[in-house]
Order: sequence, then C-alpha cells, then structure tokens
Amino acid sequence: MNKKRVNAVVIGAGAGGGIVAKELAVNGLSVVLFERGKWPVYDEHPNDELISQRTEVLGSPFGPDHEKNPRVVVEADGRRHIVTPIAGGYSNNAACVGSGTVSYGAMAWRFMKEDFQLKTIYGPVEGSTLEDWPITYDDLEPFYEKAEWEIGVSGDDASNPFAPHRRKKQPMPPFEYNHEGTVIYNAAKRLGLHPFPIPMLRNSVRYNQRPACIRNRMCCGFACPVDAKNGTQNTVIPIALKTGNCEVRTQCMIAEIVINEKGKAEGVNYFDEKNKGHFQPADIVVVSGGAIETARLLLNSKSKLFPRGAGNNYDWVGRNLQGHAYTGAFGLFDYDILDLTGPGATVALCDFNHHNPGMVGGGLLANEFNRLPYLYTNIRPPGSARWGIDHKKFQYEMYRRTSQVVGPIQEMPAFDSRVTVDDNVKDFWGLPVARLSGSRHPLDYENCRFLSAKAEEILKEAGAYHTWQSVGGRGLSGGQHQAGTARMGNDKKTSVVNRFGQMHEIDNLFIADGSLMVNNGGFNPALTIMALGYWVGGYIANNFSSTKFRTG
Amino acid sequence: MDKFSRRDFIKTSGIVAGGLLLLPCCRYTEQPYRFFSPEEADCIIALSEQIIPHDKYPGATDAGVIYYIDRQLSSVFHYDQQTYRLGIESMQLACNDMHKKLFQDLPVSAQIMVMEEMEAGNLNKYNWPGGNLSSFFNLVLKHTMQAFYGSPIHGGNKDYMSFEMLQIDYPLVIGQNRYNS
Ligand SMILES: Cc1cc2nc3c(=O)[nH]c(=O)nc-3n(C[C@H](O)[C@H](O)[C@H](O)COP(=O)(O)OP(=O)(O)OC[C@H]3O[C@@H](n4cnc5c(N)ncnc54)[C@H](O)[C@@H]3O)c2cc1C
Repeated sequence: MNKKRVNAVVIGAGAGGGIVAKELAVNGLSVVLFERGKWPVYDEHPNDELISQRTEVLGSPFGPDHEKNPRVVVEADGRRHIVTPIAGGYSNNAACVGSGTVSYGAMAWRFMKEDFQLKTIYGPVEGSTLEDWPITYDDLEPFYEKAEWEIGVSGDDASNPFAPHRRKKQPMPPFEYNHEGTVIYNAAKRLGLHPFPIPMLRNSVRYNQRPACIRNRMCCGFACPVDAKNGTQNTVIPIALKTGNCEVRTQCMIAEIVINEKGKAEGVNYFDEKNKGHFQPADIVVVSGGAIETARLLLNSKSKLFPRGAGNNYDWVGRNLQGHAYTGAFGLFDYDILDLTGPGATVALCDFNHHNPGMVGGGLLANEFNRLPYLYTNIRPPGSARWGIDHKKFQYEMYRRTSQVVGPIQEMPAFDSRVTVDDNVKDFWGLPVARLSGSRHPLDYENCRFLSAKAEEILKEAGAYHTWQSVGGRGLSGGQHQAGTARMGNDKKTSVVNRFGQMHEIDNLFIADGSLMVNNGGFNPALTIMALGYWVGGYIANNFSSTKFRTG
Repeated sequence: MDKFSRRDFIKTSGIVAGGLLLLPCCRYTEQPYRFFSPEEADCIIALSEQIIPHDKYPGATDAGVIYYIDRQLSSVFHYDQQTYRLGIESMQLACNDMHKKLFQDLPVSAQIMVMEEMEAGNLNKYNWPGGNLSSFFNLVLKHTMQAFYGSPIHGGNKDYMSFEMLQIDYPLVIGQNRYNS
C-alpha cells in the first residue's frame, strides 16, 4: 500500500539519522524517520551484564533481535560463518531509536585537524586507500559546536595542547577524575605528557531539563536510569517530533531504496512491524543505517542504472570498512586503585594521536570504563590460570587493583576490508544479509604495538607492580565504531558521495552516518558522526527549495 | 493484598510452597533439568566446580551454575546442545580409559589432571566429527564464568554470591557498595 508522499525519508534513528531528521523538520520539511528497532524503554532492561550492549552474551538489550538478523563473516582462509549479534564477530552497534547513543560510553571527541588530511601530512600509504577528506576540520567546526550544545557535552580542552581550536567552550564543565583517573593523571604528568578530563556526552550538571550524572558504577552498554546520558533519542528526535513535521516509524525494516529510470530516488520499500510491505514515496532519501547496514541497503537497492546497487557503479560501496583496533596495557597495583566511581573512564591524553616518529596517525589513550565481573574473568596477565582456585582468587583479590590504559588506533583504510551482501543467506524478511570480509592494514598492528608500549609506560610510572600489553590491530575490522563504507570524496571513481553526503550520481539520495568517514581518526567517532549529521542535514535544508532534489 | 509489599508477598508464598513439600505425595524428586540427564548434570557440576572451586567463598556448585547452563542450553544456546551431549560422552570415555571411573567419581586431583589434558588438547583421540574436548572445555569454562559472575535471573549466581564475594552490590549498574567487610 502506498503512503502519503513526504519531503524526506531518513533511514535509521541513530547518531546521524536522528540529527538529520531534526535539521530537516525544524526547517519545515516533512520527514518520516524510519527505525527498524523500537523506542528504548529503560525499565525493560535489567541491569544485567549478560544482556548489555557491551557484553552481548544472552541478548542485545537495544537490538537487533539475534534470531532475525544474521550476518556472514569471512575468515582470512576463506571460511564463511553465519554469525548473530550474540555470537562470533557480528560487529553490532544497536537497533533502536537512538541506536548506540542510548547505551554508549559517551566519549565526545572532536577529531583533530590532521585527521582530515592524513594523506597530505603523511603521504600515501602502500596497500591503503588513504585519502584526505573533501572537507576540513574548519568546515566541520561549527557543526561540532552544534552537536556539543544541542546534544550536550561536558568537558574542557584547556589543558589539552593538542586540541583543535574551537570558537566556543563545551556547554558543561568536565567530570572529576575518579581515583584511578587521578593516579594516571599524575603519572602522565610526571612523564611530561598532557592528560585532561575526557569530554563526555553526559551531564556533569543539570542540562536540557535533565539531571546530572549520578556516577553509576557502569553505564557503557546500558541506558541511564536518570536520563543523564545524551543521545539522539532524548535530544534532537524529541525536538523533531515537537515540530509536527516529523513522524518516527519504528519497527520498520527498510528493504530497498527505489531508484527510477532517470536515476532518482523515488522512495523506499519497507516492512512494517507486522511484516507487511509498503512503499513510502519521498522527494529525498537519507540513509543513516550505520556503516554496515547502510552499505548493505545500498547494495540491495539494484536498479537499471545502478545494477550493482545504488551509487555502486565504481564498486566503492561497502569498501574501506574501518573500526578501531583497541590497544593498550594493564597494570596490577598493591592497593585498590579502582573506587568504582562510574562509569570509569575519566582521564585521557592526545600526545600520541599524531606526529609519532615513523608512524601514520596514532590514537588517544584513556583509562577504561569499569569492568563488570564477567568481563573481568578474561583479564589476566599472560600465562595466568584460566580457571581453578588461582583464577578465582585473582578475581576477588585483583578486581579493584587492575587498571587499564587503552585507546583506539587510527586504522589505515583498506580496499578489501569490506561489506558485501550474501545472496545465499537471508534475514527474517528474506533480504540478503551483510557479509564482512578482508582484514586490517598491516600498519595498524605496528601502530597498536607503539601505543600499547606507551600505555604500559604510563602504568609503570603510576606504580603498577606488574604490567602487560594487550595489542590489537589484526583481522577483520568493523565493530561498534564501524565507519568508512560510503566515503566522501571529490572523485566519483574513488568515493561514493560528495562533500555534502550526496550520492555522486543520484542527486536526491544522501548518506549521513559513520559510512561517510574517509578515515576514522584515533578517536571514538560518535561526536564526529553527529557533526556530519548537522553538516549534511544543514546542506539539505538550505538547498531543498532548489528543484534539483525533487523526483516529480 | 494491598497491605503487603512485594517482598512480603514473595515471603508468604514461599512459606506456602515450603509447607507443600512436606506432603507425602511430593517426596519423589522431580527431574530438575530441562536438558541434562542427571548423570550428565553430575559431570558438568563436577567440572564447573573445579573451574570455580569452593574456597572461603562459595563455588560453582553452591551458586547453581548447572541451572544456568541447563536453562541456556534449552533456550538461547540451543546450538550448543550437541557439543555438550557429545563432549560429556567423550569425556567420560576418556575417564573410563584412564581411570575406569566417571569424571564425577574421580578424586579432585585426578579431575584436575583430566581437565588440564583437555585444555591442552592432549585428548585428541576422543575427537568426534565437528568437535573435540579442548573446545568443549573452553565452552564449559565460558558458560561457567557467565553463570557464576552474571545475574542470578539467568539461573546461576544464587543470591548474588559472586557479587558479595567481589563486594559489589546489586543492582550492578546503579549500586554503591553495601558489603562492608
Ligand atoms: C556499548 C557501546 C559503547 C560505545 N561507546 C562510544 C563512545 O564512548 N564514544 C563514541 O564516540 N562512540 C561510542 N559508541 C559508538 C557509537 O554509538 C556509534 O559510533 C554511533 O552510534 C554510530 O552512528 P551511526 O549514525 O553511524 O549509526 P547508528 O547510530 O548505529 O544508527 C543506525 C540506525 O539505523 C537503523 N537501521 C539500520 N538499517 C536499517 C534499515 N534497513 N531499516 C531501518 N532502520 C535501519 C539501526 O537500527 C540503527 O538504529 C559506542 C557504541 C556502543 C554500542
């Protein structure tokens, strides 16, 4: 059945999509914001480590349903596995209104100037599709500011000499260090480094009519019981709804973007919550499904002019899948270094994000979110007992005495690290699922070794009596920080969209999510995805009246 | 009913249920497992007890780890059923060859030895199509940790035993320390 035509369909109510929907709605466009998941309801989710978005053992509280949404993972030796959100390298983020921004750790990083110009600064990297962004930090700066003020960020850059310039402070003061944070801060200072409080999309004081954070032991992987964590579900999406111009249609799975014979998007085909098929016509379509699902949807949207999927005539859709290799070190202390003041991560430094000798890029280092008991069972120095009385003793003697300094390494984009669709494996709705394959660039592992060594130095200086490194950076990329699969660029032959997130050859089809990112920085990506949401949304709103976007 | 708090209600119904247990018709013990046979369960109980042994704090048996595993195998982890069935069978075969006993009937020191051999992948002759004892061991290890350290609502960690051991209170996310020792 056909639905009433609207100006814009936005697919995915996460970080990028929620913001675009709001930008369009407040500027008078009629919008349907589609989300395959539901509105998150705090009380539906027990405070349960085994069903948390961080440790998805028995289920993913914020979606997607693990029975209905398989994916395929291809190993280095070519073996294919069907995986689910609770088993085997799925790379889940979330599926609900707000998506990852409901349950994220909420670190609120701006990328640095350098992150937008890696190729210019470091030169080409063999075996990598490394490229400069078609936009600069300066282009995005006002939109970072908008994200910080509208969504809500606590922080202070003053003591971070590597921070990119900003016109306006973050709206809320930073969080205080917990005990571990203070110890790491002091050690980093003694080493001549430049530690400072982690910026957070979390209220340090009352903001936006919602309360301040109560420093729960943990919130990474959970929704906030007092609603002090800021995502799109409790900020921009409600604003969009208030305009009366936006409808959020939940539990609707978009199956396909319909592209007509003239190469314009006509609207979308989708299944509603009763699995009934519909067509929703629209003047423009914005895809914000997250890097993996966005690529999958584009690839599943085949048409006469784009037989290999929307915008994929040059085979770049789904390529350059990046995430973040997490890397760092652990240290054991002979006193309780963790006071479990939540959610844990409080102090960071950007000394190693750029200009490291012989390296391309780098990554931030920070202390880590508090670990809940099951997660901690896997944290042991190499060679330790994995079970038995010694394992148990370590658990109760060291739970508060283990510190971790860790960070996301900037991955080198790799052409063969990619999302394709698997025509032999279908989801609940009969749609070919995303297939993840390829592996990280070899440089990532080298960079991880460098950053882990730095982390270990800090822990030693902090007084750890025993330290060990955990080095990441090999194998398949993706994960919660998935990015890069529909990257921006000026050349239609080596990118998917232009600098405004507009498809090179489909004027009224836009992307606004992590897929846009040319590279993923050495920082958690959410604030940059939000800034990109404002950037793309603002461009559409400003240019909508020009007829070129209209199908009719 | 209005005057009762939820907790009172649970307490009251507990007394009723306790009373019922005294009736002669209920003396026969019902099969308490959904997936395991009693003998299989005894094997997994013994195995998980050595993964998380009782010391000054309760161990896997006290915490009801078996109920977590049994329940999850009949629901979320249904795809691991075959591995458990064949894993237990081949583990018992190995114990019989080496000691002429079931795993659960071995002295602790011998149990630990068998477990070390399993973990190290030294019992390859007991492989079965699509499985082997070292990956079975790792699976039981993982499930035992989940059961003991996860939330009691899934069947293990009875009375929040492991949280008490770690001196963290419930609910985990919002709690502050309650067990001051
Ligand atoms: C536990 C956890 C901790 C994290 N911590 C941090 C952190 O501290 N800092 C940080 O920067 N980032 C963090 N992240 C990552 C952050 O949440 C993501 O980077 C961000 O949400 C990605 O934004 P996006 O717009 O690309 O996609 P998403 O926010 O994932 O939004 C995509 C939405 O589209 C929907 N969708 C997809 N396909 C379809 C379809 N076909 N039809 C209908 N709907 C569809 C999905 O259900 C989803 O809701 C964390 C994530 C998790 C899960």
